Amino acid sequence: MLRLDGVTLNYGSFRALDGIGMHVKSGELVVMLGANGAGKSSLFLAVSGLRRLASGSIKVDGDEITGRKPSSIVQAGLVQCPEGRKLFPEMSVKKNLILGAYVYRNDKKANQRMLERVYGMFPILHGKRDAAAGSLSGGQQQMVAIGRALMGRPRVLLLDEPSLGLAPLIVKQVLEAVKAINEAGTTVLLAEQNAYAALQIAHRAYVIESGRIVMEGDRETLLGDERIRKAYIGA
Amino acid sequence: MNIFFQQLLNGLTLGSVYSLVALGLTLVYGILHIPNFAHGALYMVGAYMAFFATGSLGANYWVAMAASAAAVALLAVLSERLVFHRLRHAPPLHDMIAAIGLLLFLEAVIQAVWGADFRRLPSPYPQIVRAFDLTAPAQRLMIIAAAFGLMAGLHLFLKRTILGSTIVAMAQNREGAALVGIDATRVSMLTFAISGALAAVAATLFAPINLIYPAMGHLVIMKAFVIIILGGMGSIPGAIVGAMVIGFAESFGAFYVSTDYKDIIAFALLVLILSVRPQGLFTRGVR
Ligand SMILES: Nc1ncnc2c1ncn2[C@@H]1O[C@H](COP(=O)(O)OP(=O)(O)O)[C@@H](O)[C@H]1O
Ligand SMILES: [Mg+2]
Repeated sequence: MLRLDGVTLNYGSFRALDGIGMHVKSGELVVMLGANGAGKSSLFLAVSGLRRLASGSIKVDGDEITGRKPSSIVQAGLVQCPEGRKLFPEMSVKKNLILGAYVYRNDKKANQRMLERVYGMFPILHGKRDAAAGSLSGGQQQMVAIGRALMGRPRVLLLDEPSLGLAPLIVKQVLEAVKAINEAGTTVLLAEQNAYAALQIAHRAYVIESGRIVMEGDRETLLGDERIRKAYIGA
Repeated sequence: MNIFFQQLLNGLTLGSVYSLVALGLTLVYGILHIPNFAHGALYMVGAYMAFFATGSLGANYWVAMAASAAAVALLAVLSERLVFHRLRHAPPLHDMIAAIGLLLFLEAVIQAVWGADFRRLPSPYPQIVRAFDLTAPAQRLMIIAAAFGLMAGLHLFLKRTILGSTIVAMAQNREGAALVGIDATRVSMLTFAISGALAAVAATLFAPINLIYPAMGHLVIMKAFVIIILGGMGSIPGAIVGAMVIGFAESFGAFYVSTDYKDIIAFALLVLILSVRPQGLFTRGVR
């Protein structure tokens, strides 16, 4: 479904991604594990067309999307919920969600159904629908960000560290929502530092260090791996 | 009573014209993150376009206003495409230098075509309106009504339409807007078009009670900068409130202090207000 080959990205003379090769199959929930600064966000931003590659290719369903505009990548079904959420802070929760469906703006009926689905998934957002998104708590803002991405009807959903800065209970809630989204049929690529929590819901995972993929495997393999336990789980 | 009312009306007229200019400036600031110094030149070109349409082509005042708005909107979009878009990865200073270059260029072109003489646009409504012992020139009432109508229209467009929301979204979070599929290029073009049209309408409204000449944009744009600094860069309500504050300060200042100091009042107020509230009157972004 999503396939990356030799993806390389530079910030000036600094190489942030170095020949990344990976794939996500249709229906999978794949986790990208990596410490702070490993290159997860750079990878996600590159996939969404917000960072220009030095070389390499990114394909969705076999179609090359490298070099396309972010809006065209969203149209191709690749939607990202970014690190730091990047909401429209002074707009209402509802407006944020509606704008999530921007590329389908003429299909009002389906958007309304999608909106109901998001409210069903995060009932608290329904209660806060008229509040400015920036006035919500971190966990609620994360829900808005996930909801906004869902409104873009992703076939592949990229989630960049949705648990960052949230209390453990909220993290659990957010990751459960991610799992539900995947079980409802959306392919998910999830970036996380929190290996233990993320691996609970993942089918497969990659480990990224200094812009390189250093390990790949299914959940059991990685949960059982000594290095992973040391580096990312701390047990 | 009548004299006080006259000043109130003058202030409201000035504030209306300044609002339209400052709104365009603040919208473009929200997208471009640079003050567009060329905005005053767009205002000036707007006045000449209306002058040309009514004078040489014999168009009706309102048709001339629409034509001028369309022409200046196009000019603003061209400036975005040919100048600012190309500088989007350059340091902000380059944008500012380019904006000043554009200002000088447009002034030179207008002066080459129409010369440096003062021109006048005849008022379509030279009557005086009387009600309750009060008198008011119809042109001023029309300026106020048209400006407020346009502001209400802009407000509805930005708040209620998806297209308008893309401008606000991009001002509030550029990458967030790109990630929902909003095309930055289209939003920039749209924003420039709106700012150009607003400047042209402001100039066409104001021209019948003012003079048209190549440097007419200087003082207006300086005041528009004062206004958006006062109101908070990028803030829409700030631009309107700031414009009214400056408009009233000028009309009452001219009357109770001296007309000679009228144009200094805006800058004096800037210094005064910023020394008390360095962040401006409104601090939030585009809403
Ligand atoms: N815009 C940028 N300019 C320069 N360096 C950057 C930029 N963004 C990220 N980096 C660097 O690239 C590396 C990877 O960062 P990032 O992709 O944010 O990692 P992660 O998301 O895994 O924490 C880090 O060393 C970071 O400092
Ligand atoms: Mg990151």
